[in-house]
Amino acid sequence: MSASSSIQALEYLQGLPLQTHRKLYEAPSTVLAVFRCMLPHLAKSIVMAMLYMPSALPAADLEAWFKPSARREREQALSILDRLHILTSKREDDRSLSYSLSQGFQRSLRQAIEGSGTHRTFGVPATKAERREEKLGIDFLDQHARTQWEGILFFMVSGAAGFAPGSVKMDVGPGTKQLLHKGDLVRTVHETPKITKEGFTFVLQETNAQVWNLLIVYLRMGHELGMSETEVLSFLFMLGSLELGQDYSTSTLSDTQLQMLDDLSAMGIVYRSSKDSRTFYPTRLATTLTSDSGALPGTDISTNEKTDSKAQNKGFIIVETNYRLYAYTNSLIQIAILSLFTKLQHRFPNLVSGKLTKESVHRAVQSGITSAQIISYLTTYAHPQMQKSNPPLPPTVMDQIRLWEYEGERVEVTTGYLMREFGSEVEYRDVQGYAEALGVLVWKNDAERCFFVSHVEQISAYLKKKKEGRGGR
Amino acid sequence: MNTIDGSDRHVQTDSAPPPSLLAIVLDTNPHAWAHLSSSLSLSAALANILVFINAHLASGNANEVAVIASHSHKATFLYPTPTAPQPKARNGANGDVAMNGTDDSKGHHIAENPNKYRAFALVESAILKNFAKLLDETNESHLAATPTTLIGGAISLALTYISKSTMLHAPTAASAESMSLAALADSENAHVDRIPLTSRILIVSVSGDLANQYIPVMNSIFAAQRKKIPIDILKLAGDTVLLQQASDATGGVYMKPDRPEGLLQYLMMAFLPDATARASLVIPSAGGVDFRAACFCHRKVVDVGFVCSVCLSIFCSSNLPDNLCLTCGSYLSLRSALINPPALIPRKKKKKRKVGTDSATPGASTPAGSSTPMHP
Repeated sequence: MSASSSIQALEYLQGLPLQTHRKLYEAPSTVLAVFRCMLPHLAKSIVMAMLYMPSALPAADLEAWFKPSARREREQALSILDRLHILTSKREDDRSLSYSLSQGFQRSLRQAIEGSGTHRTFGVPATKAERREEKLGIDFLDQHARTQWEGILFFMVSGAAGFAPGSVKMDVGPGTKQLLHKGDLVRTVHETPKITKEGFTFVLQETNAQVWNLLIVYLRMGHELGMSETEVLSFLFMLGSLELGQDYSTSTLSDTQLQMLDDLSAMGIVYRSSKDSRTFYPTRLATTLTSDSGALPGTDISTNEKTDSKAQNKGFIIVETNYRLYAYTNSLIQIAILSLFTKLQHRFPNLVSGKLTKESVHRAVQSGITSAQIISYLTTYAHPQMQKSNPPLPPTVMDQIRLWEYEGERVEVTTGYLMREFGSEVEYRDVQGYAEALGVLVWKNDAERCFFVSHVEQISAYLKKKKEGRGGR
Repeated sequence: MNTIDGSDRHVQTDSAPPPSLLAIVLDTNPHAWAHLSSSLSLSAALANILVFINAHLASGNANEVAVIASHSHKATFLYPTPTAPQPKARNGANGDVAMNGTDDSKGHHIAENPNKYRAFALVESAILKNFAKLLDETNESHLAATPTTLIGGAISLALTYISKSTMLHAPTAASAESMSLAALADSENAHVDRIPLTSRILIVSVSGDLANQYIPVMNSIFAAQRKKIPIDILKLAGDTVLLQQASDATGGVYMKPDRPEGLLQYLMMAFLPDATARASLVIPSAGGVDFRAACFCHRKVVDVGFVCSVCLSIFCSSNLPDNLCLTCGSYLSLRSALINPPALIPRKKKKKRKVGTDSATPGASTPAGSSTPMHP
């Protein structure tokens, strides 16, 4: 479940320049968070193996450590480590390649897992003097987080669902509204917020992914406002390593971070009793930032993310083969989301009913919702009775939703790079094979000797390396 | 089509690996550590292992750890701290895990340290506290009683803990929907769906001469084999036939480092990758495995022994009291076997020739070699 959320954060992180990475890796909590949730599994093994290695690891040794069948996995792990500037490769005098961890990352990760140093980046708990009042319970924090977050979601879908603004009590702060507009999740048309394509993708995601999504928008915006990316990011990663139900002191935070506290408490990610309070509580939205909020039985079953209201409603939709849809819910958000692609007809105290029609699906597709999203939403929230069959949705309905979408969409757009004009068939095969191993290959044409990739950095580095290697011989 | 392919791959590579449970059996035999203290002291080793545990916990968000000390007079949990008497009664393979006043291990008295990730700090303080307690309880009479360690009991504790955690981790198998889904899917899928926890056991062993626990250890090995739990062995000192067999039978890592002071690097490189990562890594294993068994009568490792035809017990000599098997009490007439030795010898010679010519592990090659020529 964290897969999609960590991908987002990972893609953002990969886009940062070397200098920012260097500064980020100064803080052990950040390094630990990056290690825990950004790296693929094998990359973790590589990093840990190299963490206490006294000298650089020759590339040949690394290659020997992996099974020959795992070439693709190895290349992927190395490429991500390289893009995050965790691994640096160096050419030795005898032209052999060797890898080593970047200095800052190595030092900070060591400190993080040894618990050494005096960096104080894992949150300073509040003292009794700072607290002044009773410690707050976890239930209260969850409630706070849920109200704030659902407020945001409802704000987004309310316009499309035809609720007048202000008709429901939930509302969001001006800062958050600005954020949603900035991220192009919502556009204001005729005074009513209108959800965009990105916004709909956003709404259908897991809560964890949504939080990351919004925070990345926040990062971009913060950058424009002159907030240092490093400070914002390291603060977020620190939040992820805090303990739910513990209050923390604001005394060690910088001005930027204090500013952030205000913004984050508006979103429900942290809680402060008042604006000038000297303590803050992270909510569940914050503490699950850098973890799979998923199943962690044994440790805290009762306080799992499952208490989220969205999960409580899990499984409430029934779809019939005649495209009729019944949803056992009275949540306005659920109804609003359903109304984006369904023609709703009746509403009862605990049930809404409607129909999936060509018009309603077309409308959804035009506003940027894909058929895959609709189907995955319906499947995820299918009623337990429906889930008894496999697949849960009637195949005719799934196919028809797809067909309705294809009527309007014929062209698919991917941004990337076209590689062509290779000198020889051998060279083409080699580079194309490498691209495939990296998982960046989008399209290829063997006859024309050209192919299309979504990321080019690794390939150009590879070509350069090849050139160097040939020059030496 | 391309996009479907592309997205599929993306999801595949980024899908989170299953959480992994690492049960560490730490051999704390005071005699052996005293012997080893010139190159690696017990406290240094423990510090290294704590770093290793943190690394393991960091490698996966839902990763778990259990640490069991195999001491000279008892085997006990270092982490998680045994709390109520009920689980103790169920877990206690040795029946002597009982400790007082260990409740509330996760209490609030652990000082909040802003330099340490809280999850790490909790595990670390619990292990150190329990370890200090174990050492305090050890007195001279315990040390004098035995020069070895209760590895068999410790492995059993690890296995019981793993089996309990696996049950806790199995997704709501009781709920109707998943049951019916499992019934619909083929048996293989259902199997994968219901055991999302991958577990392994790591034994950090320093004592040799474990043959007196041949039977309990072998039973544990077979249990682990059946449950598909790899047993990794880090042998810092001493040599035992037994543990090598354990790692070989369960597909674990076996390492006997020449320089014990480099413990952390060995741990990080060879023992940290879990089952998911091992699928694409070359893992070190014992080259030639010594498959010799220990006899049931004197706990000696034997090359050639006598096997009870009823219960398969192994004896080093044929001179059993009253010709009765010591384990099952069956009457065994060994005389016919002794009178008729030529029947045994040609077969043995054949085996030996095979071993001589074949460079591969002797145990693995023999059964295959005897059967293949007949039915190609």
